[in-house]
Amino acid sequence: MSKKSYSFAQLEAVAQEMRKNPDMVFFYEYETPVATLPTGEILDLVKEFGTRRTSGRGWAIDESWIVGTAIGAATAGSIAIARVPSMATIYAIEYVYNQAGKLRSMTGGQVSMPFVLWQGGGSRSKGSAGQHTEVGQEALYANLPGIKVVVPSDAYDAKGLMVAAIRDPDPVVYFDYPEVKAGEQPDVPDDAYEVPLGKAIVRQPGRDLTLVAWAPATVEVKRALPGLAKAGVSVEYIDPRTLKPLDLDTLVTSVRKTRRLLVVEHGHYTNSFGSHVISEVVQVVPGIKVKKIAFPDVPGPGAEGMMTWLRPDAPKIMDAAVQLMRV
Amino acid sequence: MSRPNGMIDRRTLLTMFGTAGATAAVVSACGTSLKRDLNAELSAGVTGGKWDKAVPLGSQGPGGNPNWRPGDAAKFLPPEKIPTSGKAAELMASLPKEKLLTTYQRMSASRKWETAMKDLFVDGKDGLYGAFHTYVGEEAIANGVMTALNDDDYIASTHRGHGHLIAKGGSLDRMSAEIFFKDTGYNKGYGGSMHIMDLSKGIMGANGIVGSSPYLAAGAALRALARGTTQVAVAFLGDGAAASPYYFSAVRSSANHKVPAIFVIENNFQYMGVPMATVVPTKYISDYTKGLGIPHYLVDGNDVTSVYAAAKEAVDFARAGNGPSVIEGITYRWYDHSGFAGAKASVNGAMGLPYRSDEEVRQWMSRDPNVRFKTWLVAKGLVTESELARIETETQEAIERSIAFARQSQCPDPKAGVLNTHANVAVAATQFFNRSGLTISA
Repeated sequence: MSKKSYSFAQLEAVAQEMRKNPDMVFFYEYETPVATLPTGEILDLVKEFGTRRTSGRGWAIDESWIVGTAIGAATAGSIAIARVPSMATIYAIEYVYNQAGKLRSMTGGQVSMPFVLWQGGGSRSKGSAGQHTEVGQEALYANLPGIKVVVPSDAYDAKGLMVAAIRDPDPVVYFDYPEVKAGEQPDVPDDAYEVPLGKAIVRQPGRDLTLVAWAPATVEVKRALPGLAKAGVSVEYIDPRTLKPLDLDTLVTSVRKTRRLLVVEHGHYTNSFGSHVISEVVQVVPGIKVKKIAFPDVPGPGAEGMMTWLRPDAPKIMDAAVQLMRV
Repeated sequence: MSRPNGMIDRRTLLTMFGTAGATAAVVSACGTSLKRDLNAELSAGVTGGKWDKAVPLGSQGPGGNPNWRPGDAAKFLPPEKIPTSGKAAELMASLPKEKLLTTYQRMSASRKWETAMKDLFVDGKDGLYGAFHTYVGEEAIANGVMTALNDDDYIASTHRGHGHLIAKGGSLDRMSAEIFFKDTGYNKGYGGSMHIMDLSKGIMGANGIVGSSPYLAAGAALRALARGTTQVAVAFLGDGAAASPYYFSAVRSSANHKVPAIFVIENNFQYMGVPMATVVPTKYISDYTKGLGIPHYLVDGNDVTSVYAAAKEAVDFARAGNGPSVIEGITYRWYDHSGFAGAKASVNGAMGLPYRSDEEVRQWMSRDPNVRFKTWLVAKGLVTESELARIETETQEAIERSIAFARQSQCPDPKAGVLNTHANVAVAATQFFNRSGLTISA
């Protein structure tokens, strides 16, 4: 058990699984897989596994190739990871949609797909504008048949969900949001461990209101929680960690107690994953009070003032919670 | 916890946007200082000469070398001076003096404007933020190409777009204001550096997605065919973007359908910090597509005369209905991929970056495309040094005025954030302001 950066924890998971599986491959663009511990220990996957199992110092800017060939390697029998940056979600999705998610079914179960799409995420931050601010594509992927989706929000889950995703025989899209990497991180065990797919975590128990958020909205939720406690609202805060399959039991157990559900997300409003969460819960627990706040259906603007106004930040989360309590 | 600045209550908001429906009529939420309408919203033949260093251009390229090391870019250094004789020199020298002065003025403006912005970013006083990818060192490519274009021809640019915009006649005032994310900027503060666009000048925009320019340009070129004009469209892209499937697709189908598009590769040896040598199997990028039977030009990208000569041939070829060409210019960026690691205010070039050697940076900076063109113009007797000095002074003043304009301009109203996603309607602010909690009954 030791202090590790988020990035180190992720790469450690990949390295440990690659040691166990001599056929496993890891393809990426410019993100050379090297990380360092505060002790100076260096983890260098290129050095350890060579340029036949990794993309060495980097492959060309061709995400279709990176994702498509990883899916090809997985179809042939290797565990395969493809890592692509946030702007490349749409390049990646075609092959995930038509091959990774469908081959097992279309072949009558002949094909296993131990494939992980390590998908970089954007953030609702000033100055990038439009193409580099996107968040919430987990909703796109969750809609695809055959695809599982995980969204870690701290270093412990980042490692444990990576291990679980690698060991899973189905394609898993693993979202890697930059905002959750900063700040204090929990201790991360040195050995490989799984955070099981489909298992939510209650991050804060409470009585009045169930708040559901996942990376990267968790950063603003954490800022809002102390204020809500001060305002006398007892919040039960749940991080689903895996969006598909969704841990409905944990959500339902909580909402049966609180009768109120607030979903906070930084993805776009329409057809967001939060809409699915609400729809699932209210079908099981009718009569509850619900609210969702999300980023509106606009490309994230560059100017700071506009971005701040639109972003579901801590004050907006507190407003939403307080309003929901008054309903 | 206090409400953030600019946050308003729901009643005011609904008044502002009309109704609380899914969409509402647009009312400009911006008090602005700018009048605006929100609703209208190398073939050896043309290469100047041989390169004088170890590797003559075209005989041995940087590509296909898995053992590339920092410092290797120095092996591809062009000669100190642009040739004053030969086909390219003659073609360039035949241009009217006014045109030559415009080309020089825009090269100079591009350099000085980006350098001024670099100083502001490094200095930090103005609180500038956001992406900024400099084109410094690569100015000969944009300006050589643009010298061969008409005002109504199209260009599609890249994330490294400032040099293309200025070369096509972009307004310094509105560019500076956009870097400051002000309401008077080209994109009214929505876009910033990576998205500046001016369709009135044929500028289809800088773009944050690598490899997006080939289709945008080819689409504009197809439109020219449909309308029966002789306009052409140029897609600029870097050595990294040439790996995009979009690039191959656009060049192949443009060749097949004789689309008047020109694909200009700016090969600066590295995408971000990854050497082009290790991700490209051929000597040069322009080797990829030679089987298509269209013209390919490999030129000294720091020689505006060579770039112009290649572009002139490609443009004439496209206007005559013969289809596309590929031009590859070999050049070098003086700064980091993005931002200003290793850079200092009032000092040219970024040093100490891990993927290149300081020595190669210094050597390439000694092949400054602007200095080479200036020397060439004077050596050819086409303009005098004092004429160029006057241009530089005036350009510097225009840049300072543009920065003052940016500083004095207003920030966009935060509430404009729900405008401009759709043509005539705002996105409902109820999507992120709270509506009353809904009760779902059994």
